[in-house]
Amino acid sequence: MKISLERPVAAVPRWVLALLAAALSLQVTWQALQPRPTARAEALGAPPEPAVLRTAALGEPIGLAQLLTLYLQAFDNQPGISIPFLELDYPRVAAWLGTILAIDPVGQYPLLMASQIYAQVPDPAKQREMCEFVRREFEHEPDRRWRWLAHCAVMIKHRLGDTRVALAYADAITERARNASNWARQMRIFMLEDLGELEAATVLLGGLLESGEVTEPKEIYFLTERLGQLKSAGKSSPATGSRQAKP
Amino acid sequence: MDSRIATIARYTLLEALRTRLPVLVLATLLALLAASFFVETIAVTEGARFQTSFYAAGVRVAAVFIAAMVVLVSVTRDFDDKGLDVVLALDLPRSHYVLGKLAGFLGIATLIAVAVAAPLAWSATAPALLQWTISLAVELAIVVALALFCVVTFNQLTPAASFVLAFYLLARSLTAIQLMSAQPLSGMDTLSHQVIRFVVDALALVMPALDAWTQTAWLVNQQAAWSAVFQVAALSALYVALLAAATMFDFYRKNF
Repeated sequence: MKISLERPVAAVPRWVLALLAAALSLQVTWQALQPRPTARAEALGAPPEPAVLRTAALGEPIGLAQLLTLYLQAFDNQPGISIPFLELDYPRVAAWLGTILAIDPVGQYPLLMASQIYAQVPDPAKQREMCEFVRREFEHEPDRRWRWLAHCAVMIKHRLGDTRVALAYADAITERARNASNWARQMRIFMLEDLGELEAATVLLGGLLESGEVTEPKEIYFLTERLGQLKSAGKSSPATGSRQAKP
Repeated sequence: MDSRIATIARYTLLEALRTRLPVLVLATLLALLAASFFVETIAVTEGARFQTSFYAAGVRVAAVFIAAMVVLVSVTRDFDDKGLDVVLALDLPRSHYVLGKLAGFLGIATLIAVAVAAPLAWSATAPALLQWTISLAVELAIVVALALFCVVTFNQLTPAASFVLAFYLLARSLTAIQLMSAQPLSGMDTLSHQVIRFVVDALALVMPALDAWTQTAWLVNQQAAWSAVFQVAALSALYVALLAAATMFDFYRKNF
């Protein structure tokens, strides 16, 4: 005869069954009477010093930097609550991004977050703050970080209409980022043109063509044509409004 | 307490002493203490706060691990060495064996909590330390009761240990999971979300949300309200009673 692995429930003393039922009922009742947990937004704290983080990384600074990046990225979506980027403390956010870049300077993610995520909020001051962060970090590694500054230059020019600041960014790319793409290094010429500084734009464009940095025939043709237009515009009229002003 | 239950409890305590549990606890405590001093030295500011937080958070997890393993290994040894068969052959109700073992394990849990909390006396205030120690003791009580239930139910060490670990991790993150399931970023009306939310809410009814227990913030920020500590203790007592009843229910139904 086969012996069952388990005895019937009747083998369990009644007081054990009663205790089980009572404890389970009490537990469920107690928990059901508790108020539901409520979400509470937490303020973003200051980041630790990069030196401390490097030590705490236990030889894996890249891994730690990526973890911190994800932590920062997820900060707007704390359990049960979503915080608009606009409400984040931007100096703190910039400090975190700077710290992450300090422990993993090759990583581009913090600059992408600064220029493409945090700089997209509808607040000009915060947009400028993030772009200034990108500008500062650009100085440390111009050849690696120029594309984010170029994005900020375009954004500042077209969204905030501040061509002077955009020109300063474009100048920095031209002067400091020798390995930047030609379109980025030529950006300041067109910004100068937009500002009506045709003479300066003509000189720069002529210099660029003579330097031999541009080797693509179609690009040379386009820039030469552009140089011709600048020269004729410079002869026929004084500096006029910008291209942006045209409808 | 029935003298037979007390005898089993006493031998459970003796077994823990003779398997060098105090040495293990002391070694763990010293290792974490040394690590916390290291953390204190590399912290630029708030060194004492860093040290206390690191030690408290680390020792809490270590204590849970040690307490659970003591229970799992002790009962597995009873099964494997046929010591349980001898006990069951005596004129002893099965409930006495469960209650005796549980009483012994609860005593061990309390001793572990007191031992690991002792180094915090240098950095935390007395009321905060008392609250933290009580909370750790009752948290460990839940863990040992759960481990006893698991090892009696599964009969084997690996599935029992896996279940205890999974239960503990889930209990520590249950509130966050509940919050996230209540207010997702998208897909709130989908069937899958409704099902997940129902399951999470059902889990919250039968599991303790252990994130409210033994908080480091009580030591380094502000001590908890005593009402919160009493609530944690009462909930723990209730949950230990539930797990003990479930263990006895399973144990009575086993054929050896």
